[in-house]
Amino acid sequence: MNIAQHPQLLDKLAAAHALGTLRGGARRRFETMARQSATVRAAALLWQERMHAMTELAPQITPSPNVWKRIENLLPSALGAMPNADSLQNAWQASLAALQKALSRWRFAAFSGGLAALAAVVVGVQTTRSLDGEVGRLQAQVASAPQVQFVAVLSNDKAAAQVLVTFDPVSKRLSLQRVGGYQEAADRSLQLWTLPPSGAPQSLGVLKPDKLVKLAADAKQIQGVPTLAVSLEPLGGVPSAGGPTGPVLFTGALIERSL
Amino acid sequence: MLDDSELMDLISRVAAQDALALRALYDATSSKLYGVAMRVVGNKEHAEDVLQDAYLNIWRIAPDYRASLSPPMAWMGVVVRSRALDFLRRRKVERSLGGPELDEQLSQTIAGDAANPMDTSSASEQAWALHECLRKIDGPQREVLTMAYFKDLSHGELAQQLKMPLGTVKTWIRRSIEQLRGCMARFA
Repeated sequence: MNIAQHPQLLDKLAAAHALGTLRGGARRRFETMARQSATVRAAALLWQERMHAMTELAPQITPSPNVWKRIENLLPSALGAMPNADSLQNAWQASLAALQKALSRWRFAAFSGGLAALAAVVVGVQTTRSLDGEVGRLQAQVASAPQVQFVAVLSNDKAAAQVLVTFDPVSKRLSLQRVGGYQEAADRSLQLWTLPPSGAPQSLGVLKPDKLVKLAADAKQIQGVPTLAVSLEPLGGVPSAGGPTGPVLFTGALIERSL
Repeated sequence: MLDDSELMDLISRVAAQDALALRALYDATSSKLYGVAMRVVGNKEHAEDVLQDAYLNIWRIAPDYRASLSPPMAWMGVVVRSRALDFLRRRKVERSLGGPELDEQLSQTIAGDAANPMDTSSASEQAWALHECLRKIDGPQREVLTMAYFKDLSHGELAQQLKMPLGTVKTWIRRSIEQLRGCMARFA
């Protein structure tokens, strides 16, 4: 039967479809007809609009003020999902600000807890741990969203941020922005490494002396890695298999953000 | 409540990544949209999670708004409903994996008009027409109809959750749709 020629039946089916109570085979048949017939499709869309208007009739209830605070906190990472360069820059700055805040909180805690001396020795480890809380919080906040992005702030032994790293799994690109004053000598190169939970460090590539460096990387190289590190190497870097040969200058926790 | 052109202006600014505009949009619409989230998930904390998720989603998809051709509140309402339904689906999976039962799922009853009054303060023309037509449907039948929509429930799920005979649910839905159809035709 051609339901397009039976307006009452068409209306009923379209209404049940929009309501959601048309299920199973009946739903599939209706949707197939809608794809084939503009009349059926128009009825389906009209009833969707009509049913959706139900949301406008919902009662008004004031949500807790915390909701906006949480939205505001997550906005930088929402920005991070934007593709253009300007917003990427903004996202960087926002992430940097958030992470620097986390770092300064840690530093305050470390000093006030009398841990300063220890911190100077094991700053890499401590930084990783201090950011763990931040990682957990961020991950909990954004656990359900699809776009995955990785961020790390690599700091020197004074816990000052030096390199901001972001990874975009879609374009398979690591972006590194130098945010501290460090500049390697002309005959040296900085090299970026993953420090996997078990096994040897793996090289992610060598940094050009530029402010902004892009490196190709696969998500497999990044996933599950808790820490990134930058070492000072001979010009052009060293082979991955041998691991870093020079001093490790910067380290930081790799944070997975999903938004 | 802002009018449609003011809301559309805010959505365009949100599309241009204006965080202040998102704040203004939130101030103007969050109580209505929280109401939508509550209708779907029926729990304050979960509805807040949904609301948060929905505004972050609006932030990302605001550039798509114009193509939808919908009134702004209807568009945002649909965003919230769909995030809320996603939330319920996730909970369902979690429950099936041994997570905690949701209290509200067990205590589902048909609320009277007092519990779920219809609010027309921000209604588009379409919503106003729907409101007029829903008003003509008996309270309990209307409640089953709106519950089917908000929670995306089948006849069987409605019967189970409301502890009503399946035949009654089917009859009520069929009659409600028939009434809506006749009534909405006059507004077309």
